[in-house]
Parts: sequence; C-alpha cells; structure tokens
Amino acid sequence: MSLWNPAQPLSPRTRTLLGVGAVATVLLLWTVLSGLELVAPNKLPSPWKVASAFAYLAWDGEAGRSLLATATLWSLGRVVAAGLLVMLIGIPIGVLMGASSHINAALSPLVDPFRSAPVVALLPIMVMWFGIGEGMKITFLFLGAVVYLIPMVRDAMQAVPQTYWIATRDLGGSDWECIVKAVLPMAMPRIADAITVAVSVMWTYITVAEYVNAREGLGQLIQNARRFSAMDQVFAGIIVIVALALFTYQGMRWLRARAYDWETGQ
Amino acid sequence: MSDPMNTANISIELRNICQEYPAPNGQAPLRVLDDINLTLDKPSITMLLGPSGCGKSTLLRMMGSVRPLGVPTPTRGEVLINGVPCDGPHDDVVMVFQRYANRPDLTVWDNVAFPFTLKLWRDRFKRTEWQAMVEQALLDVGLSDKKNMRPAQLSGGQNQRVALARALVLRPRILLMDEPFGALDAQTRTETQLLLTELHRTHPCAVVFVTHDVSEALLLGDRVVVLSSQPAKIADDFEISEPRPRSATWRRSSEAVRLEERILDHLHAAGQGQVRITV
Ligand SMILES: Nc1ncnc2c1ncn2[C@@H]1O[C@H](COP(=O)(O)OP(=O)(O)O)[C@@H](O)[C@H]1O
Ligand SMILES: [Mg+2]
Repeated sequence: MSLWNPAQPLSPRTRTLLGVGAVATVLLLWTVLSGLELVAPNKLPSPWKVASAFAYLAWDGEAGRSLLATATLWSLGRVVAAGLLVMLIGIPIGVLMGASSHINAALSPLVDPFRSAPVVALLPIMVMWFGIGEGMKITFLFLGAVVYLIPMVRDAMQAVPQTYWIATRDLGGSDWECIVKAVLPMAMPRIADAITVAVSVMWTYITVAEYVNAREGLGQLIQNARRFSAMDQVFAGIIVIVALALFTYQGMRWLRARAYDWETGQ
Repeated sequence: MSDPMNTANISIELRNICQEYPAPNGQAPLRVLDDINLTLDKPSITMLLGPSGCGKSTLLRMMGSVRPLGVPTPTRGEVLINGVPCDGPHDDVVMVFQRYANRPDLTVWDNVAFPFTLKLWRDRFKRTEWQAMVEQALLDVGLSDKKNMRPAQLSGGQNQRVALARALVLRPRILLMDEPFGALDAQTRTETQLLLTELHRTHPCAVVFVTHDVSEALLLGDRVVVLSSQPAKIADDFEISEPRPRSATWRRSSEAVRLEERILDHLHAAGQGQVRITV
C-alpha cells in the first residue's frame, strides 16, 4: 500500500469509501455554511432547500406538471440534434484531415484557431445571422463542439502507428484502402473519446445557448429562477445538468469499452 | 506457397543503388547505400547481414517498394522485379516486419484473411477459395487452434507466426523479412527459424531475410550477403551448400566456424570504419 503511486490498485470498497467520503464532506461543509448562515441564504441556499426546490420542479402538484421533465426534454433534444450534426459533419472532416497531410495543411488554419477561440463571444453574431430561434441555438452548440471534435478526430487518425498503413500498403492496398481498412479502424477508440468530449462540451454550452430568448430548456429554467432570485432552483437546475452530463459521459465510456474491447487489452 | 513450377523466372535485381538521407542540420546529405549491385533469382533463402544501422531495412524496403518515408528511394539506381522496373508494391512480393503489425482489433483468422479484404486479392479469388487458403496458412504455421483469439492473447512467437501466415497466404514468390525474429526470445526464435525452414521446403519461394545475427545467417542462408557500413557496400557474398535444417554438429564444423570468422571480420572492419569517422 503506497499513497504516492498512480498505478496502485484500489479495492472497490476503498474506492467507494473515498468517493462517497469526499462528496459527503462537501455536502457537510455546504450544510454548515448555509445552516449557520455564514453565507447569506440568498447566495447559498441550504441543501434541503435545494432538495425541496428539486422536488417542486420535478412535480408541481398545483399546476399538475413537471417543469423539470419538460425543460430536460428540450435541452436533451437540442443536444441530440446538435450532437448528430457534429458527428455527421465533424467526423468526416477530421478523418479526411487525419488521412491526408495535404487536406490537413489546408484545413488546419481554418479549424485549429477556433479551439481556443471564445465561442461564447460568437453568440451575438449568430443571433444576427440565425435569429433567436432553434436554428441559432443548434448552430451555437454545433460550433462550440465541432471545433473540439475535428482536431481530436484528426489527432486520433495521426496517432495510429504508421506500421499499419505500411503493412496494408505492402499487401497491395490502395491509398484509400490503407486509410479505411487500417488507419480508421485503429483510430476508432480515440474517435469515440473525441465524441464523448464533444458531448460534454455541448452540456456546458447548453445553458449559454438557452439564455438567449429563453422559452424552454434547462438554461431557461435556471435563467428564470435567477431572475426571481430563487437560488435554490438555480442550484437544482445546475445539478440536473451536471447529472445529465455525467450520465451521458459514463454511458458513452461504457459503450466505448464494449465496442472497442481490444483496445484495453493492449 | 507457390508451386515449384511457378518459381522459375523470379528475380530481384538491384542496379547501382545509392541512397542518401538529408542530414538534420543542413550538412551534406548522409549517404547510406553506395552503388549496390545484387541479383537474386533462385527460390532460395538469401540472408542480408550487416551492422545495425547500415541500411539493411532501407535496402529491403526498396525491394518491397514500400515507401513510407518522405525521401525519394532509391536516390540513384534501379530495382527490377522479374526484369521489370518497379515503382509500387508488387503482387509477387510480400514483407514480414519485425514489429509484426498484427491488427489488435481482429482475430487471428481475420488477420490472416485481411489481404482478401483488399480489392487486389478479393478480385482474384472466390470466397470459398481464399477461405481455404486462410485455413491452410493457419495450419502451416500451427495456429489452427488459435484462430478465434486476438493478438493480445498470443505470445510474441505466435504473433510472428500470424504475420508469417498473413504473408504466406498470398503465395508470394518473393518474401521479404526484416529482422522478423529479432524481438523473440532465444528459444522461440529457434523454433520459428525451424518453422521457416520447414515452410520453405514445402513451399519454395525467394526469401530475402535481413538480420544482424551471424548465427541466424549461417543457420538459414543458402546465400549470405554481408554489407559494410557508412556508406554500405557489398562486403562479401557467398553461398552455403549445407542442406537445412542444419545440425549443431555442422555449426561446430570447421566450415561453419571459418564462415563465421569471415563474416565477423567484415563486421569488425565496418565497426572500425565507424569509429574512425566519429573520432
Ligand atoms: N527516413 C530517414 N531519414 C533519415 N535517415 C534515415 C531514414 N531512415 C533511415 N535513416 C538512416 O539510414 C541509416 C540506415 O537505416 P536502416 O536502413 O534502418 O538500417 P538497418 O536496418 O541496417 O539497421 C541509419 O543511419 C538511419 O539513421
Ligand atoms: Mg532495420
């Protein structure tokens, strides 16, 4: 047992204990801070107030509706729509860039700078171009994620050891066959990672997208709550987004591990 | 794996081959191969021997017309396969690499069948035909019982046999091997050498086998070509008539010991050359 060893295997019990312990500590700290009103309640609502706000949002008995379910479905729909677009357009571009030095040289000055560009700052431009409806929101999510996805897919292709390309070439494969039959299949696990990152990025941008012309979605729910200084609802909304992001992330990791089980065995 | 009739008019001809690589710091380009002339035209095993870094792989890749480098190869000279100047991978020629390049995502069977997913080979054989070829190749290298496993589940020696099967399944008339057993432990290397000997007996083809191991050259070669270094020229070129598999007794015979010393002399000369240049 050594504390300073990143490869130290942990028993599931120890792992759970440490994880749960850390979360419990933060909850406790939160309870103490808000319970003793060390931070003003309108800035930091107590955990149980957040919990009851969550319950109210999840099911509003008086109105007979679930604000949370509606908002979640709207946000989820936007992320799915934008995510499909990101994959449909981003993956082929990244694959082509990773498959050819020429294409990469031509496209990387157009793509790479945006990785560190303030995509949020583009929001006003997008509002001017695409209005304030769904088109703008989807485009914003799409752009925010695709600028990460394309370079990552390209890097995944370039990271495949050249031996596979060479061996396929030697066996008589055409240029295109070397890419499609050797490099691409070998790059798939890392392309799956890139998709996971892109989806995570979209979950972080969803609120920004939904701040403008807020009518539906989790971003709107948070925005509205903030306007009425309902901090407990703001917290509840944020926690739902984090949970959704975490859930999709874990789900995609699981899918990747199943689809590319050969990769972990390396 | 071609039938003997078919190996009649195979040849690899290297004519006045020179290879230069650009030096990193703007100095005069580094000349690696200097005026190599060599003709191989028998279904025998030719060992290409030389000190590490002398240009053996460079020369072998030229014969395979595999050009992964951003450097034109050869700088000067000509490679002819079966008498025809060659400027791309040739159907008659297949390479086996030291890093066997087996696909981790495919089973052993799919690895050996991989060539038939390529249009070139798919168009030449019917499905049932190439499936039978794959089974036969697996049988030849003794991996029939492992065909559903993944490379990660196999040992290094077994992986190299997969790579060998993938090359042999195409029945190449020329087989190029670049230090194929270099990464194997001594015991496995000996076994795999024997396997190669046996495969070559049942399916003769022209093998060019790169090694820096003198014992391996003496154990396997019908012909041994020794390269010098910096730049590489052909330092020696001789034949060994002793039939394979070669016994330990033969390895200790005066003929074998004499040949070994002859090779070592060349390698030492090449080594001294290197020292003189670096001093
Ligand atoms: N692409 C390359 N660019 C520059 N130098 C190279 C390149 N490939 C090989 N060399 C140099 O050429 C020499 C011969 O390499 P190689 O053919 O791999 O030798 P060997 O296979 O005999 O060990 C080495 O000195 C190596 O550094
Ligand atoms: Mg080499």
